[in-house]
Amino acid sequence: MAPSSTSNALLTAPNEPSTSIEDSAVSLSRVTRIFGVTPALVRVDLEVARGEVLLVRGPNGAGKSTLLGVLATTLAPTYGSGSVLGFALDRGRDQIRRRMELIGHHTRLYEDLTARENLRFWASLFGGDTSRVDPALEAVGLGPAGDDRVRGYSQGMRQRVAVARALLREPELLLLDEPYAGLDEEAKASVDGLIDETAARGATVVLATHDPTRGGAAGRTLYMDAGRIVPDPMAGGRAP
Amino acid sequence: MTFVRQAGAIAAKDLRIEIRGRHGLGTVLPFAATLLIAFGLSIGPGRSLLQRTAPGLLWLAMLFASVLAFRRTYEAEGEDGALEGLVLAPIDKAAVFLGKAAAVAAQLVVLWVAVLLLVSALFDLSLGGDVAVVVAACLLGTVGLAAVGSLFGVLTESPRAREAVVPLLVLPLAVPVLLSGVKATSLALAGLGSQAGGWLGLLVAFDVVFLAAGTIVFEHLLED
Repeated sequence: MAPSSTSNALLTAPNEPSTSIEDSAVSLSRVTRIFGVTPALVRVDLEVARGEVLLVRGPNGAGKSTLLGVLATTLAPTYGSGSVLGFALDRGRDQIRRRMELIGHHTRLYEDLTARENLRFWASLFGGDTSRVDPALEAVGLGPAGDDRVRGYSQGMRQRVAVARALLREPELLLLDEPYAGLDEEAKASVDGLIDETAARGATVVLATHDPTRGGAAGRTLYMDAGRIVPDPMAGGRAP
Repeated sequence: MTFVRQAGAIAAKDLRIEIRGRHGLGTVLPFAATLLIAFGLSIGPGRSLLQRTAPGLLWLAMLFASVLAFRRTYEAEGEDGALEGLVLAPIDKAAVFLGKAAAVAAQLVVLWVAVLLLVSALFDLSLGGDVAVVVAACLLGTVGLAAVGSLFGVLTESPRAREAVVPLLVLPLAVPVLLSGVKATSLALAGLGSQAGGWLGLLVAFDVVFLAAGTIVFEHLLED
């Protein structure tokens, strides 16, 4: 399902950019990313349909974070090409960023601001609609603690604020890089809720996690090792 | 969201963090005071010599203290990966630069007031005479320092940069500010403020160049 019905004004800009080249959510062709002399991604081909929930698994150093970094446009491919949400990785970076949310290892919060102030700040940068801040905080169970400084928050509470930030925007593509790491069950449930909500409105989700108890909403699982997409050893060696 | 609003949001956020963290009050101001006292002790008790060197010591103390302020303004961005959020935000990255420069400039203005009072007390220096020229030099120097510091301060968060990269880049580049500021202040304190126009003009030129350069190249530094 196309996410064109989203209420986010940023996603309904009247001027359709000329960099739109295709309609799948993610399309990568022989993407390689090298750090120094170390290849982190090696000739990765990947297609993800709009509305799909994709689970990415693999050991540490498999290239999962690099893959998500490329999709989020924080890392440029060394070789290869691709598009995200129809926009080329090299020329459509700004358009991709307007439509995508990344929840990664860092929660990107300011420690000396309260959760509410953090969300208002990010909401103002992403379009100025701060009216969703209080409902988003309530949705992740942080309404009463919203005026406390983030410095005093546990990792789980911080991740719930990051989830609330994603709820402000209704992104077309949600990228999650080990979002369950170090979280208690309540915080994990918030992340699951965000994935379910995002999938329910037809947006695309790419989830990279080690946690074998999570990712139940995924329609497809991708296994990575040494920077390559390989057959999943847990699925009897079947190719994804 | 307009460019001005984006820059305003960045500046307001930085100032709020600064006020909450009291970094300026707790670190930068004591550092500047310590420098001034050390300079004074190293020069000795001669009153006339202290008064002659006071403009140079004043600007040196401000320059070194400014470097601390530049680093602090990006420390908050690195604490939990917030800088990545600014990279990914769909805003003009020049607004990030100008917002940060505005916030740093506001902090430096407060620092100037404290340091001027300190210099006046320590070195028995009268700020009368051409005080308008002193104020103009301080404000123009503040803008220039804030622009240079906000431009290169982002490098402190680069995984490839070393901690010393900011002072190594900022201090040499700030030499024109230091020189012009010292000259204009010296002339003003000697009652010759009318002759300081050229030095103030140099400060204006420096401000224009580095504000323009930062607006153009900041995005590249941020993305790298």
